[in-house]
Amino acid sequence: MKFAMLILRNVIRNPMRSILSVLVTVVLVFVVIVVWSVLSLLDYLTTEKSQNFRGLVTERWSIPSRLPFSYADPLSRGAARRPGDVMPTDSMTWQFYVSTLDKEKITRESLLFCVAVEPAKILTMMDGLDLLEGNDLAELTRYVKVLEEKRQGIILGRNHAVNLLQKSLFEPKEIIGKRINVTGLATFKGIDLEFEVVGLFPPGRYDTLAAINREYYNNAFDAYQRNTGRTHPLAGANLNLVWLKVPDTNSFTRLAEQIENAPDFANPAVKCETAASGYASFLGGFKDLIWGMRWLLAPACLFTILLVIANAISISVRERRQEMAVMKVLGFRPWQILALVLGESLLLGAGAGMLSSGGTYLVINVLMGGLKFPIAFFDRFMVPEAALWWGPSVGGLAALLGSLLPAWSARNVKAAEVFAKIT
Amino acid sequence: MTLVQPGEPSTATRSTPIVRVRHVHKYFRRGSEQIDVLHDLSVDVPSGEFLALMGPSGSGKTTLLNLVAGLDTPSEGEVWVGDQLVSAMSESQLARWRTRHIGFIFQFYHLLPVLSAYENVELPLLLLPLSASERRRQVNTALELVGLGHRMRHRPGQLSGGQQQRVGIARAIVTDPTLIVADEPTGDLDARSAEEILDLLGELRRVLHKTIILVTHDPRAASRADRILHLEKGQLVVANGGGGS
Amino acid sequence: MFDVWNQLAFWSVVVLLLAAVSRVPIGYNLRNLTVRWRTTMMTAAAFTLVIALLVVMTAFVNGMNRLTDSSGRPDNVLVLSDGAPDEAISTLNLGDLPQIENLPLVERRGGRPMASRETFIIVNQAVETTRRDRPKRRFLQLRGIEDPLRSAYVHDQGLLPGGAWFSPAGAVELPPDGERARPVVAIQCVVGEGVARELGRDRDAAQLASARNPKRLDVGDTFTMGNRTWLITGILDSASTTFGSEIWAKRSLVAAIFGKNVYTTLVVRCPSPQAAVEMKDFLANYRNVAVSAQVETDYYKSLSETSQQFAWAIGFVVVIMSVGGVFGVMNTMYAAISQRIKDIGVLRLLGYSRLQILASFMLESLGIAIIGGALGCFIGSLADGWTATSVVSSNAGAGKTVVLRLVVDANTLALGAVLTMIMGAVGGLLPSLNAMRLKALEALR
Repeated sequence: MKFAMLILRNVIRNPMRSILSVLVTVVLVFVVIVVWSVLSLLDYLTTEKSQNFRGLVTERWSIPSRLPFSYADPLSRGAARRPGDVMPTDSMTWQFYVSTLDKEKITRESLLFCVAVEPAKILTMMDGLDLLEGNDLAELTRYVKVLEEKRQGIILGRNHAVNLLQKSLFEPKEIIGKRINVTGLATFKGIDLEFEVVGLFPPGRYDTLAAINREYYNNAFDAYQRNTGRTHPLAGANLNLVWLKVPDTNSFTRLAEQIENAPDFANPAVKCETAASGYASFLGGFKDLIWGMRWLLAPACLFTILLVIANAISISVRERRQEMAVMKVLGFRPWQILALVLGESLLLGAGAGMLSSGGTYLVINVLMGGLKFPIAFFDRFMVPEAALWWGPSVGGLAALLGSLLPAWSARNVKAAEVFAKIT
Repeated sequence: MTLVQPGEPSTATRSTPIVRVRHVHKYFRRGSEQIDVLHDLSVDVPSGEFLALMGPSGSGKTTLLNLVAGLDTPSEGEVWVGDQLVSAMSESQLARWRTRHIGFIFQFYHLLPVLSAYENVELPLLLLPLSASERRRQVNTALELVGLGHRMRHRPGQLSGGQQQRVGIARAIVTDPTLIVADEPTGDLDARSAEEILDLLGELRRVLHKTIILVTHDPRAASRADRILHLEKGQLVVANGGGGS
Repeated sequence: MFDVWNQLAFWSVVVLLLAAVSRVPIGYNLRNLTVRWRTTMMTAAAFTLVIALLVVMTAFVNGMNRLTDSSGRPDNVLVLSDGAPDEAISTLNLGDLPQIENLPLVERRGGRPMASRETFIIVNQAVETTRRDRPKRRFLQLRGIEDPLRSAYVHDQGLLPGGAWFSPAGAVELPPDGERARPVVAIQCVVGEGVARELGRDRDAAQLASARNPKRLDVGDTFTMGNRTWLITGILDSASTTFGSEIWAKRSLVAAIFGKNVYTTLVVRCPSPQAAVEMKDFLANYRNVAVSAQVETDYYKSLSETSQQFAWAIGFVVVIMSVGGVFGVMNTMYAAISQRIKDIGVLRLLGYSRLQILASFMLESLGIAIIGGALGCFIGSLADGWTATSVVSSNAGAGKTVVLRLVVDANTLALGAVLTMIMGAVGGLLPSLNAMRLKALEALR
């Protein structure tokens, strides 16, 4: 206890140096946490799961994947034709619909990116939403129920709500109940829809996505034909992907074979891959960028922390050589001096790291509602709860490594230096 | 041997005092308490005199030295050095004035440890408008004078205490100052080295006609001076002629 | 507003001014830096890291910008279907094509309009390799063209020596060899250097040992895409354009294999950039066709949105990281000054002014910064010429996966130099002010 007090006293006795070292650690650990938050989500998505396999059926050869809606039913059954074929335990169809809230001024803010789905599947098949608990789950369940009943309903992401309300992130729920009109863009030209906002996605992954009822969306293509007398160019190709869930690897392999060899899906041909593999190929274009973040940016930050703390500690050891000689004269043993110096730096590093991870978590998740970092199909990233541990461990470890040498040199101070002249 | 100082005509002659201290008071405030260090002190130092200031700790001798050397300003009164009213100068004026007019010698030498003897002596010259060759000549002359011509490239750490103090003296005279102030220059030296340093100071006075003010505890050091002033509680107590050679 | 050369000039002048003001010999600072060399090195190393990272990241953005800047021609007009922001989702009406090609603004040679009809497909390729470090799937950008020579003229695109454009048939039968038991029909194609390099990396050690070119696939090599064998007949001379990431083959074959029998893209050559602008404006109001047209260079410029975002992200990261450098040098300088209080006292006594003391310590801090920064620039510049994959895209939704070369140019190094000096100046200022404020007498006490 006395020893701990001694460490603490030493840390606060040159407050300027300690504060500078702490600040460096705080800001750099911040960068590391942000980078690792992004990487941990990407890693999670691209790592093959051993259970609850999510499969992804898309057009075989080219993107964007465009399948006829007639594929929806057989694919949802996993193309099971014979008894004994594998049936997916759950499934979900995705039909993309890109539109704008303001056809006069098409900006990033006015873009509305929707998926037309079977509402009930939102709760069971969407990555991340299937893990919701408690209040969030109850809320989303309520929204989904309304979307099932009201065909013209829409569940919005936070970003749309904020853009529509022109308000801060704190009260996005005010949007519920409002009506919005959207105009189809690009290949969706001619499909203009009208929605009533029935709910919001929980903050995070789905901030830029909106979900609509697929019945309403498919009807819109029939309506287009009635009104114009022509079929819409997308009418036979408005199913983009089908998600399937199977219990294990083995059944997934069989399911994929079943689907890829089914004669019903010849033109266009389809492929079935794991969600992880699907995500991975979408992220292919960013692979070097991700590599750079993982192996250049984060290590550079860690190494800078190490350098700054090593420098600070070695300066303070040099300034205190005589004092350490006095301690030796008084009977302190070398390892105690070593522990004293290591303890100081550990306290600085781990303390600063804890401050940083707590602060980062608070600022990014609570205040900013996620870190905006548009990469592939992601828009913003949340800091995972595990990050609360990353900070102190990363800061502490860097500090410990950085102070090894100075601590060793403090350990080796000779008692005779007590008489050395101050230089 | 001459140390040439361009554009600096020596206005003082041997008869007129080069340092005139007039009714100087110096006090510090510590909280509500006022501490008098110097009390209505007046003293003249004629040009070319070797003056020793003695007195117990806290008598104000160092304070007086600082005032004369332009390191500090009096609370009341005037300090003249040559024809300059030092006590009225601003800090930056003082800094410039010190370079040309005052040479300092300290108890702990105060050489910059990373610079060689030569570079330490050259330091004050860098502030003056001199060409490199003029600087070289003056530094060499000063170092030869203190007998360290062969040790120019050594760092202070490689020199003995006495040698370091000679470098200090060379630095003090290199600008050919009006006045040399020395604060316990032998306080950190063994007896033999101290003797040598005192001999050197005496030589400066005799050969170069330098005005020197020496603050010391040491009666032997003081005995080399032309005159000894005793200070006690901020006032002069006795003034008598020293045993100047 | 922020011109890096002005900044560099400004900071160089600052350093020179400081050097002129400070009469304290520069050797004094240098020797103190070498006496405490361990501290100096650790402080400088932090600068090295930050600057090297800045240079590498900027080189990446430079590489993206160079691609988008040098792709396309100002006298070409890129025609997509109405409302389509990107080739991948464009579907041109067959009837519109001759109407556009025969407009008088289009250049004609030998009686034929200089227009390239194309089908652009992003192919999802399953990667067949035994190497574990390679991805399982990737997207390849395939461009079907009808008449290679005409398209080559329109795109001003040549082949590297030793290559040839594909034959009119677009395919050739390969005899059986060590890998093939039976003859196969291979689709002939020309590929960009970037793709050739990427595909070449799938090869395992045995294949590499017998490879024509260990760095990339070369003329005569084959690869698999869409269950077919593809034979490379030429490598596109596509240095720093987005075509370097594309595969070109006979359109009719491509359309059949991937089930995309529509034209996605029409590129027409106009006699001059001015004519191209007129053509674009004309098409915008031309009722007979439903297309969206843009000058080709404008289209590629719009793809630099991603690099803009990257540039912002880099700025953010670098500012945060430079805090590390700044505080590091602050620590060092505070310690340096507290060790040298006596020196400062002596200098002040000898008549050195406050400003001269300030300048001397600022120079010392800038010295550490310049040493570290120069090393950082050097290390960062080693990244020049590295290739990397990235995505260029526009806000409107157009995008391409590209293989780019990192570019470390003089601007990048100047940026590194400016940042290092700013860091050194900011970090040195407070401690130097402290040193300046020291009173001579108090310092010597």
